Amino acid sequence: MELLIWLIPLLPFIGFLLNVFVIRREREAGLVASGVVVAAFVVTLIAVAMLAGMPPEERRIVSTAWEWINTGSFRVPFAIMFDPLTAVMALLITGVGALIHIYSIGYMHGDPRVVRYFAYLNLFVTMMLFLVMANNLLLLFLGWEGVGLCSFLLIGFWFERKSAGEAAVKAFIVNRIGDAAFILAMLAVFTYFGTLNFYGDGEGGQIGFLERVSDIAGLRIGPDWQPIFVSTAISFLLLIGATGKSAQFPLFVWLPDAMAGPTPVSALIHAATMVTGGVYLMARTEALFTASFTTQGWVAWIGAVTALLAGTAAMAQWDIKRVLAYSTVSQLGFMVAACGMGAYVAAIFHLLTHGIFKALLFLAAGSVIHGTHDTQDMRRMGGLKDAMPITFRTYVIGALALAGIVPLAGFWSKDEILAHAISHGHTPIFIILFLTSLLTAFYMGRQVALVFFGTQRDPGYHPHESPAIMTVPLIVLAVGAVIGGVINLPVLHWLTDWLEPVLHEKAGEFNIWLALIATIGAVGTGYLGWWVYTTNAARIKIGGKDPAYRYSGDIWEGMEEAWYLDRLYQRTVVAGFEQLANFLARVFDPQGVDGLVMGIGRFFGGLANGVRALQTGYVRTYALVFTVGVLLVLGVMLWFAR
Amino acid sequence: MNQLGFPLLSLILWLPAAGALALLFVPRANAGLARQVSLATMIATFLLSLLLPLRFETNPMQMAVVGAPPVMQFVEEVPWLPIVGATYSLGIDGISLWLVMLTTFLGPIVTLSTWDSVHKDVRNFQILLLILQTAMIGVFVAQDLLLFYLFWEFTLIPMTFLIGIWGSQNRIYAARKFFLYTFAGSVLMLLALIALHILHRDAIAAVEPGFRGTFSFSQFVSDLRAGRLTLDTTTERLLFGAFFLAFAVKVPLWPFHTWLPDAHVEAPTAGSVVLAGVLLKLGGYGMIRYNLTLFPAASQWAAPALAVLAVIGIIYGAAVAFAQSDMKKLVAYSSVSHMGFVVLGIFALNAEGISGALLQMVNHGLSTSALFLMVGVLYERRHTRELAEYGGLWKVMPVFAAFSLLVALSSAGLPGLNGFVGEFTIITGAFRSPLLGWIYVAFAVGGVVLAAAYLLKLFRSVFMGDVSQPANATLPDLNRRELTAFALLSIPIVVIGVYPAFFFAGMQHSVAALVADLIAQAAGS
Repeated sequence: MELLIWLIPLLPFIGFLLNVFVIRREREAGLVASGVVVAAFVVTLIAVAMLAGMPPEERRIVSTAWEWINTGSFRVPFAIMFDPLTAVMALLITGVGALIHIYSIGYMHGDPRVVRYFAYLNLFVTMMLFLVMANNLLLLFLGWEGVGLCSFLLIGFWFERKSAGEAAVKAFIVNRIGDAAFILAMLAVFTYFGTLNFYGDGEGGQIGFLERVSDIAGLRIGPDWQPIFVSTAISFLLLIGATGKSAQFPLFVWLPDAMAGPTPVSALIHAATMVTGGVYLMARTEALFTASFTTQGWVAWIGAVTALLAGTAAMAQWDIKRVLAYSTVSQLGFMVAACGMGAYVAAIFHLLTHGIFKALLFLAAGSVIHGTHDTQDMRRMGGLKDAMPITFRTYVIGALALAGIVPLAGFWSKDEILAHAISHGHTPIFIILFLTSLLTAFYMGRQVALVFFGTQRDPGYHPHESPAIMTVPLIVLAVGAVIGGVINLPVLHWLTDWLEPVLHEKAGEFNIWLALIATIGAVGTGYLGWWVYTTNAARIKIGGKDPAYRYSGDIWEGMEEAWYLDRLYQRTVVAGFEQLANFLARVFDPQGVDGLVMGIGRFFGGLANGVRALQTGYVRTYALVFTVGVLLVLGVMLWFAR
Repeated sequence: MNQLGFPLLSLILWLPAAGALALLFVPRANAGLARQVSLATMIATFLLSLLLPLRFETNPMQMAVVGAPPVMQFVEEVPWLPIVGATYSLGIDGISLWLVMLTTFLGPIVTLSTWDSVHKDVRNFQILLLILQTAMIGVFVAQDLLLFYLFWEFTLIPMTFLIGIWGSQNRIYAARKFFLYTFAGSVLMLLALIALHILHRDAIAAVEPGFRGTFSFSQFVSDLRAGRLTLDTTTERLLFGAFFLAFAVKVPLWPFHTWLPDAHVEAPTAGSVVLAGVLLKLGGYGMIRYNLTLFPAASQWAAPALAVLAVIGIIYGAAVAFAQSDMKKLVAYSSVSHMGFVVLGIFALNAEGISGALLQMVNHGLSTSALFLMVGVLYERRHTRELAEYGGLWKVMPVFAAFSLLVALSSAGLPGLNGFVGEFTIITGAFRSPLLGWIYVAFAVGGVVLAAAYLLKLFRSVFMGDVSQPANATLPDLNRRELTAFALLSIPIVVIGVYPAFFFAGMQHSVAALVADLIAQAAGS
């Protein structure tokens, strides 16, 4: 069993090694890369079945490979584990991952660097699996940074484009800011618990820090006038880490730019898996978060604010992928808000369903881009429903699921979050999230109308349906988006029960009134979005303004620019740092620090010049000086030898 | 203990010098033979040094004995200058083991890099390189302070010539600055050394008349720890300062760093690799071996202030590196930032900090050497180090790009590669140190963010984007020698990242003993 769970991350890793060192042909690369991920999915299924065969409270397998770091009192094993929470994450990663690998065979066909693409993709799956399977924070961090690296490589995959290189670097550095906080959190955890392990490894009797969070109850650090609870400090630092990876306010600015990567990458990394890493982290360390009332408030509000901000931004985008990118940020905000309200099961439920339908939407958008010869501007689309029937149908299913229309997957998971917000008295959060869910329906209606309805606005290309290797994964995901909600239907609550050993939650009440109102709202606004952009289709010009711009004016522009947050950072943080660095490098270092050194040097140089004047070259002068010197030395010696 | 029946350390130490001697008999014109002899010597030295970790006792005693001098292995001792009590005494422990290995490992790589970069007076270049190798190994293995000082100063001479003769336009200025700056630092150390010798002689002579003094390191340590030699607070601090200044210039610790960018920019590739790879480590090694061991109380006293300088260096070096348009300067300033981590770890004064610093010195030696090699590869092809002259090379030189990415990530501290383990262990030490604490670390992790910023800027400018310069479109990818050098460097970069416990195990005992004594001294004083 221990060997079996090692196979899960190792299989894609073998695929990575093969693609780097052995394989040179496109066809083999795609087959091997997809094959290993499918195999990993099968192994995960077997592991899940075995896990399900164990008594609920014993459902955790921990396996240590070797002692990773071992110095002084600082010990970290290279250890992975498999428990119900990891299991669902691993299923999502390998399942959706496998479909995206297969889809990529068609999407990337003919690209000159396709072997490298599949190598990166395999490495990504490996690192993502380490992220969710790690039994300590440090190994989780290895996966965390590893997926960041793969994200960098894949965003910058078409590195010839300037925007791709910039977006890749931006993604990595913005994530690093979160990672710095993550590092501090790890140090604090280690200082207060003496271990970074989540759970004990079953040997030696040592237990992990998640099992004894009560150790730090009531402990405070900080200055006397404003002490904070240790639990607040640690969880808040972890929260900052999560805002980086899960693209939350104020660090979400990298995700929309990340769309410069190939579309299957956006589906896998920037929708279904990597960006959910922060949510997973919060669910995994739920014990730390729930110990701090303060942090939980921050988590909930950050999630809600992000959801609303990104939801409004998604409404005003023209790029088919940027709509989905902002929508992803917004939906991640739902998950984070759910974590903040203590609804961890709902967060994971939404994470899973969102992973399926957002991957579907991205892949379908990729199919649109593929079929329209790299068109991404929705103003140049329109009327594609006849040319691309399968893409159209699957896209609509994805859009309905995202909008939360009953009985699709997104409805159930979103409803669970909203119901929790009401029943636990988080009214302001509920109002924001409810509003956002209406916006979600609106912009999906708008997008479907712009892409698939009306007439083709740019006659410069001939749209065509994508090959079967791309449409079959779409259909599979569409089926998932329809029935995915079944895993945690209000009456069955399978997921809640399955996660009970880890997250210790009981199923919430199903709120029929809320479900009704939410559905009516979503249908209404979704239809509104579709109606506005089909009736006004004639007003949409390539490169022109949105019809809504006439009524909202600059507000629309603000939404389009995501409320100028990115520009604000560019002009303050980035420009400020560049100025400072330039000042230090061009002025302070050569003139200040080095100037001081050279000044001292010159002082002695001047002294030496004075001394040089004494060197006359006359032997008699030297003889005189020599004699005087000897006499002086002798005199001193005699004086001391008295 | 591990006595081998033959003087292993002496062999490792003098083999490069012997190679240099042999090179004198190679005709000046025969550059190829000179390179081959040099490479063979370096490889032989490295292979011989492999015996060190193989035969090294990771735990020479069951328990660290407080008050005893550091336990040395492979010890050799021959009287040298009995009149002042200086001995030819060699030995290594966990603190020097990996640094010696780093030096011998980088030797062949440095020599390989000269194939394409040095065409002028090849034989003499190789001779200096080999002499430098002996001197650097000597600094790490010498257990007699006078011997140590000789080797220490002797590293300066070949390096100065390497910069001054084989450097680029401004080489004379850079060579002179390098020599004077580091020499000025070490003169104070010489004074401190003599003062220590005299103080010790007088103190012992009071008990044992006729004692003529010694330069033996272990003698100093045991007498200091046994209380037979006591230094009053002011003297100890002065001596500490004199030693520290010499090491701080070498590291270089902010604000003593300004010789470094000049030296790097002017030095030939091989010179930069040795300079960044090994020479800077002499400073860090010296702080651990001499400052912490001989002057524990003064170390405790100075630690917070020095850690502040280290943290300033981390941020400052990173910010200045970010603003550079010259690749070599960028890498040079990144050294200031990375070595700041090393000093921070050392003055955390606990096992995590010091062993992290030791490992980080090895890491920095590997990844920064590789970064300089990378700049060298580009310079050989295009004869410019300006970032703006490059772009889009990922397409033209894919293998080179892959190695460069690995190296940049290792330097940026990506988990799974070597740099992360060192940095993380260091900041763990600093975080837990009662002398420092979280505020130091909060700033230091800023350096982690900035490291990603400047290294990715470097990588992006060179490898991403379109090939804008026509001259870049036809650049050849790595040749066999360059490939070998990068492949060799990649092995420890990955191995240390994945299995650092092996490297920590070697240094564990020595570091624990050192820390135990620091704590004992702190309790006693």
